Amino acid sequence: MSIIELEGIYTAYEGGDKPVIRGLSLSVKSGEYVVIGGPNSAGKTTLLESINGLVRITHGTASVCGLDLRCYGNEVRRKVGYVVQNFYFDPFTPFTVEEVVMMGRYGKMGLLKRPSRSDREAAFEAIRLLGIEDLASKTIGTLSGGQQQKTMIAHNIAKEPEVLMLDEPFSNLDFNAREYLQGVFKSVAKKGTPVLLVSHAFDGLPDIRIHLVVMNKGRITYDGVCDAGEVESIIRKESGGGLRCSSF
Amino acid sequence: MLEFLIENNVVCRAVEAMVFASIACSILGVIISRMNLSSIGFTMSHAAFAGAAIGMFLEINPQVTAIFFSVAVAALIGPVSDKAKMAADATLGVLFAMSMAVAIFLVSYMQYSGRGLSAGSLLFGNVISLYREDIYALAAVSALTIIFVLAFYKEITAIMFNMKIAEASGVRVKLIYYILLFIVAISVSLTLNIVGGLLIFVLLVTPASIASQFCFNVRSMFVAAPLVALSISAFGVWAGFEYTLPIAPLVALLLTSAFGVSVLVSFKRRINYKKY
Ligand SMILES: Nc1ncnc2c1ncn2[C@@H]1O[C@H](COP(=O)(O)OP(=O)(O)OP(=O)(O)O)[C@@H](O)[C@H]1O
Ligand SMILES: [Mg+2]
Repeated sequence: MSIIELEGIYTAYEGGDKPVIRGLSLSVKSGEYVVIGGPNSAGKTTLLESINGLVRITHGTASVCGLDLRCYGNEVRRKVGYVVQNFYFDPFTPFTVEEVVMMGRYGKMGLLKRPSRSDREAAFEAIRLLGIEDLASKTIGTLSGGQQQKTMIAHNIAKEPEVLMLDEPFSNLDFNAREYLQGVFKSVAKKGTPVLLVSHAFDGLPDIRIHLVVMNKGRITYDGVCDAGEVESIIRKESGGGLRCSSF
Repeated sequence: MLEFLIENNVVCRAVEAMVFASIACSILGVIISRMNLSSIGFTMSHAAFAGAAIGMFLEINPQVTAIFFSVAVAALIGPVSDKAKMAADATLGVLFAMSMAVAIFLVSYMQYSGRGLSAGSLLFGNVISLYREDIYALAAVSALTIIFVLAFYKEITAIMFNMKIAEASGVRVKLIYYILLFIVAISVSLTLNIVGGLLIFVLLVTPASIASQFCFNVRSMFVAAPLVALSISAFGVWAGFEYTLPIAPLVALLLTSAFGVSVLVSFKRRINYKKY
């Protein structure tokens, strides 16, 4: 069954002069490990934010987890985990890692509810999975970039999402952490939750079949299944070989 | 409400008014200063000021028009920032200037036409000539603020952490944001004739800043800010009557001095080298 079903969608930023995503269709099934590649400004982040309704879809049909995105944006966001590409937390942010991880569940809990025992257990489980137990009581603004990245991943794992989207989650992470997290994402996908991973670095992809999507200028130029080893070469080919430095 | 403590009726009402105003404003201040929206206080107080001027011009209860006008401005902040593609802060600046223009226009016009209006009480407030109803209204708004924070504590803290991440996690950010603006609008309009438009900012921002010098988490900030605000302002009112000093500016100065002291003595920035 398709968890994400996009058909001919267009999305535009308010005030933008042209749509960023133009006539894109994509179908993601339960348990798929989707890698989204493509050059800078291809529209990868915008695609993820269209899938959880943060960016408005102007044309086309879109359903996520069986809900029509154009009517149920907030309900969709409760089911979809999304690790954002860029964030900055100033050093005086008065929230600990533990609190931030718990916040992942706030939308899901609904208004007027307090965190229950199972909420606390899920948050703790996510903290343990990311190996940041010793940071739990530290304020998030005082952590290193990689530690903050892990906290934000734990925030989304604690949510127990039905879709997990990650926008360059490895940008701040060391080699060991990348490999370990690829394993974590793989096990998330194994349990049936599709994982959508936007990345520019493809070392350490899990050895499972990968649903590869390559984007360019707001459209999908490649959509197929391949092995982890082929990902990089396909993206290179689809992106037209990339920039060449002519002066050498 | 505090008659059993303070015999003099005028003093009693002034203390009550200041205490309730400080509770509401300082709690809201914790939220808006974390969201980098302190200028909301500025904009709202001037919107309330403009609203009151409209009321005086139309010869209807200025407090009612003040509430209406600031709620209207509050309702404009979100949509205007969305449409104009500006940061909320810039929108607040534009609306602030607009409110000020409306207010000054009406005040000057009434002075030309000989309907002599003293803007003094709106600018500087007046803790002495308060009615019982004023106190009830202030008590109600501080209760409303406390209920708002307790009921939506999760959502409010998530928004204070990061608005976009809160929205992505499925928190109803817009709903909470508008309720917040609405409560700020009401609190500020009611506080206007007590401390005046020029000093509301002190009640909104300073207690939260003092609390942030000592508190490591939001929960304690939400408790410390109103406690600091109400004790300093109650003391200020007492001292003002005792030594016949202008009350609102005195409270403002006391709060600012307390902030200065708290920065100097804050242990938050000390590094404990011994431990390492
Ligand atoms: N808030 C915004 N308003 C207007 N245009 C935007 C906005 N955010 C992104 N865009 C535009 O949308 C296009 C796609 O941006 P997007 O962030 O989706 O690219 P990306 O594929 O994620 O790139 P990168 O690899 O650099 O992260 C870009 O041309 C960008 O200028
Ligand atoms: Mg991006």
